[in-house]
Amino acid sequence: MFKFLHHYLIPQTSNNYRARLLHHKILSLFILFFFSAGILMSVTKTNFPEVLGISSDVSIDQLLVLTNQKRQESGLGVLTLDQRLSQAAASKGNDMLAKGYWAHISPDGTTPWVFIKGAGYTYTYAGENLARGYTNSSDVINAWMASDSHRQNMLSGNYANVGFAVVTGSLNGEETVLVIEMLGTTALAATPSNTQNEGITEVAQASSEETTPQTPVISQEENKEKIKVEEEEVKKTIASKPAPEIRPLINAETFSSNLAQIAITIFMFVFILDMVIIERKKILRFVGHNLDHIMFLGLIFALILVLLKGYII
Amino acid sequence: MTKKLFKHLNYYLMLWIIFSVGVITTVFASPNRNLQIFTIITTIILYVIWGILHHKINHELTRKITIEYLLIGLLGLSIIFFIFTGGI
Repeated sequence: MFKFLHHYLIPQTSNNYRARLLHHKILSLFILFFFSAGILMSVTKTNFPEVLGISSDVSIDQLLVLTNQKRQESGLGVLTLDQRLSQAAASKGNDMLAKGYWAHISPDGTTPWVFIKGAGYTYTYAGENLARGYTNSSDVINAWMASDSHRQNMLSGNYANVGFAVVTGSLNGEETVLVIEMLGTTALAATPSNTQNEGITEVAQASSEETTPQTPVISQEENKEKIKVEEEEVKKTIASKPAPEIRPLINAETFSSNLAQIAITIFMFVFILDMVIIERKKILRFVGHNLDHIMFLGLIFALILVLLKGYII
Repeated sequence: MTKKLFKHLNYYLMLWIIFSVGVITTVFASPNRNLQIFTIITTIILYVIWGILHHKINHELTRKITIEYLLIGLLGLSIIFFIFTGGI
């Protein structure tokens, strides 16, 4: 075993002074392995979602606790979980998956407020935060807290209630986890100080990191007719599409990223080892520069981190 | 290693620029996966071209070295493919 590892990892006479792992044949095998494994995983994810799929540890309870913790730290009152807002959040999530969009307003113009009204929540103030691709609750909250507009939504004194939904599914062909936070205040809960600051008209605000200036502000009166029709559609959606919760045996994202990162680390380690030993022994070889490959593998590692990073809007 | 880095400083500076632009464009391309795939493939192709040209200019390019850069580029591509199809 020791001899085998030595042969594969350390340059010596038996491998012609180039770690066997770095030989063209072995590199080709690894390339073939990753291409086939990718295809195999994709097929397994489609046909056996209970075995391999996307899952997350984001929980509504934790989101609520962490949101209220941040609010208390800022001297604000806690938000109470409202089932109607949670229902609105779930239908918004299912709508994004069904229509294949990732935005506060759907391509057909449906605003978040339609879902809130559709769930039977009559708001004075309402807001929405969205997150995608996060695997645990604290990462979601930290991402929202790091963005001005999302933080303002979370730490607004205008809200008394909150609802969350964690929806897993395929969004434009990509398996992902969507986290939807709907915030609101009913007419009864609104305090005089709030209305003094923000005005007494019924307004709705969406939080978007990039499109803050285009924050939709909708007068309920103007859109009364449109909202009524859309509400009916949303109610139908809520009734017909219960979010199926399949928790796979293996989390595809964690599994693939761990495997890829382990492979990259091993290759980088072998390249470094190869470079150091050859330089010390002053052996002349006609091979590529190990330093180039180490830097390149470092780039691939960084790109994986970028690809697996969640986003908020 | 440091000696090599200083000797080929201009080449490595160019490589850093290629890599930095690759990472930055991939970050800005999110969540558009197709655009991310495009930026990553472009960065990998540029790396292979850079590696081959670097050896060619220094008169040390052999067929074996060309294949090595192609294989390392393909290894990076296969890992990214694995992440795209298998993981996300």
